[in-house]
Amino acid sequence: MLFSSITFLYYFLPLTIFMYFLVPEPFKNAVLLFCSLVFYAWGEPKYVLLMGLSILLGYGFGLLIEKYRKKKLGQIFCIISVVTTLSFLVYFKYADFFIYNFNAVTGFKIPLLHIALPIGISFYTFQIISYTLDVYRGEAAQKNVLHLAAYVAMFPQLIAGPIVRYSDIADQLKNRKHTWDMAAEGIRRFVIGLAKKILIANQLGELCNLFRNAQEKSVLFYWMYALAFSLHIYFDFSGYSDMAIGLGRIFGFRFQENFQYPYISKSITEFWRRWHISLGSWFRDYVYIPLGGNRVSKGRHVLNILIVWMLTGFWHGAAWNFIVWGLLFALFLTIEKLWLLKELKKSRVLSRIYTLFLVMISFVIFNAADLGQAVTDIGGLFGAGGIPLASAEALYYLKSFASVLALGVIGATPAVRNAVCYLSDRPVGGRIVNGVEPIALAALLFVMTAYLVDGSFNPFLYFRF
Amino acid sequence: MDRRKKNTVVCMLFALLLSGGFVLCLFLPKPVYSDSERRGLSPMPKLSADSVWSGRYMSDFENYAADAFPFRDTFRSIKALTAGGIFYRQDNNGIYVSDGYIAAMEYPVNEDSMNRAVERFRYICEKYLTDENKVYLSVIPDKNCFLAKESGHLSIDYAEFERKMAKKADFAVYIPVSDLLEKEDYYKTDTHWRQEKIADVADRLAQSMNTALVQDYETHTLTEDFYGVYYGQAALPLMPDTLQYMTGEAIENCMVYDWQNGVEISVYDMEKALGRDPYEMFLSGSLSLITVENKNAGTDKELVLFRDSFGSSIAPLLVSGYSKITLVDIRYIHPDLLGQFIDFSGCDVLFLYSTLVLNHSETIK
Repeated sequence: MLFSSITFLYYFLPLTIFMYFLVPEPFKNAVLLFCSLVFYAWGEPKYVLLMGLSILLGYGFGLLIEKYRKKKLGQIFCIISVVTTLSFLVYFKYADFFIYNFNAVTGFKIPLLHIALPIGISFYTFQIISYTLDVYRGEAAQKNVLHLAAYVAMFPQLIAGPIVRYSDIADQLKNRKHTWDMAAEGIRRFVIGLAKKILIANQLGELCNLFRNAQEKSVLFYWMYALAFSLHIYFDFSGYSDMAIGLGRIFGFRFQENFQYPYISKSITEFWRRWHISLGSWFRDYVYIPLGGNRVSKGRHVLNILIVWMLTGFWHGAAWNFIVWGLLFALFLTIEKLWLLKELKKSRVLSRIYTLFLVMISFVIFNAADLGQAVTDIGGLFGAGGIPLASAEALYYLKSFASVLALGVIGATPAVRNAVCYLSDRPVGGRIVNGVEPIALAALLFVMTAYLVDGSFNPFLYFRF
Repeated sequence: MDRRKKNTVVCMLFALLLSGGFVLCLFLPKPVYSDSERRGLSPMPKLSADSVWSGRYMSDFENYAADAFPFRDTFRSIKALTAGGIFYRQDNNGIYVSDGYIAAMEYPVNEDSMNRAVERFRYICEKYLTDENKVYLSVIPDKNCFLAKESGHLSIDYAEFERKMAKKADFAVYIPVSDLLEKEDYYKTDTHWRQEKIADVADRLAQSMNTALVQDYETHTLTEDFYGVYYGQAALPLMPDTLQYMTGEAIENCMVYDWQNGVEISVYDMEKALGRDPYEMFLSGSLSLITVENKNAGTDKELVLFRDSFGSSIAPLLVSGYSKITLVDIRYIHPDLLGQFIDFSGCDVLFLYSTLVLNHSETIK
């Protein structure tokens, strides 16, 4: 089920909130789990069993790892747990990629499996792994399977993150408060996230589709596409994270922030501290640091960076362009660590231009159907193939999407948040903000409902991960 | 308002909107047909173990939830107004308003579609026609042809489109009519041309096919407002059109037979004029096969008119030039069946199609 759907907003969510706040405290996790399973089954009825099995394995191994933590057996259980959980992900997400490439290299003709990717498997797999690894490192295992299942399957973050660490919400699973202030904060965050998704990301996605189907490509159109997709993926993904964080607040949870205005970064290093923070920190804590991090020789350090970023790219999709995308970041992160970071500090403007340029190029690679298209798209940005500088089509869509693009650019900076904070901190301004906010949120909800009613095609980008 | 009070108001308002929406979704009566979109709305799916396990129930429910949402048309209007008024989008789902006219942005050219249409026409010619038959082709430009240049919207190169169609259809003599048309010849809220404005087009077609028309018409105006198909698609508060139709001696005295339903019908169906789509009053709308016989014609010439809905309103104007006109819509009848109903010997054959169909010819059988 999509958050940005009539079914979620006007059927699932009211019922879930009603049931959740109706039952006494000890049953809230059970209600949350039940609703989460319904939420998941709505899109993937068959794969609920797979998720259930993953949770049960995580639960069982967690208890075993805790019991034998200080012994060799604990390490063995931990390895088995990680391998088993990962094997589901590898089978469902990467099997065809490996078979295809194996066939290409060896000339064999092993048939592809064409398995449908279970929604959210990349996210909940990483959550279960983080749980068992945290237990291995000393965190207490969850004795109540309902609580663990509620953590893994919790619908706000189930299908698109953020990747919530068990250690971050272990206490909240047992004891959490519910207040008007928290709920209002959650509602505000949810509505803003939904607006980012429906009003900005979806429209920019439309521009990207128009570009793909365009009859007349031009340099201008390629750049519009690169900008539109960079903003689209940010508003889509950060909007979804905002909705997840907001829903979590309504139910009394505090999830980790996942985005911190990444497009104002002055280096790729900073960009990855602000972009998909939960994934970056997951790879840092469970892959990069165990590999030795930067406390190793220079060569080994570079190798660690390459491994982590190749895996990061591969996590996003089973295709070579995702691996190249990850390795591109590895290259620039290494260059920055070795030399460039100091140079970038000399000019705030140039460092931002450098970062945005690289990020846009990276997302062109990211969104290509394959490496061939990535090369064509990047070539198009620089006029390869003798395409014209501009075309009537590009100019028309520039005019038609100028406001959305401008709104996207402004919304990707903290300008609006800072302005609201500035106003809120003043006595009169604060009263105005407090008075306007409920009306603005209600108006936004109305307009977004109108967009949902009008359009039936509303795919969510991160499902494929 | 202080922060605590504001937070309470936010929570109450959110709860009210969501629960209100939920209650309305559940208990308001559900329409089964959308007049504005001219389509049936998705019904509530039937619950079964099989439909749930296959995921069909869920996807059908999503369609139902969006289609059955309370005040659907009002919300569609809010969306259209927001898209144009706040986001300054130049079109809304490919529909735009210029100078009071609503049009669809027909773009880009679909060369495969053109080829497909021509091949279907060629198939008919090769299957049924001989050297005795004279074959003609005419392309009717859609409204976008006249509006896009002024408003800056995207449009196909209509001159090039016609040139290509004429070249591809080398089995037919091309009759150009676009030079006779302008935006005022079309309804503001509908795709079609206005019958009262196309007498010159009918005359051009007749002259090119070596026949003469008696153009002594009387114009009638329907008292009911005409909200065309684009009105519903645009979802904007705009003025309706008025619908006029022409009568004359030949039109009044001709006999029309609907082969699809096996009944005699009238040239202008006044029941349909008051129905969901008043343009269907012209020869009863989308029928696969109709004959119009004019026993008082001063000629024995016969015409087989392969046409889309634009043909419905121009055919009555051609009646005085022929003893019989057979209207065929090969979107609704397969060409292989035509031999059972039509004797093509000695007939003139005209393929009269709008760019809207030629550029999306997947509907042609």
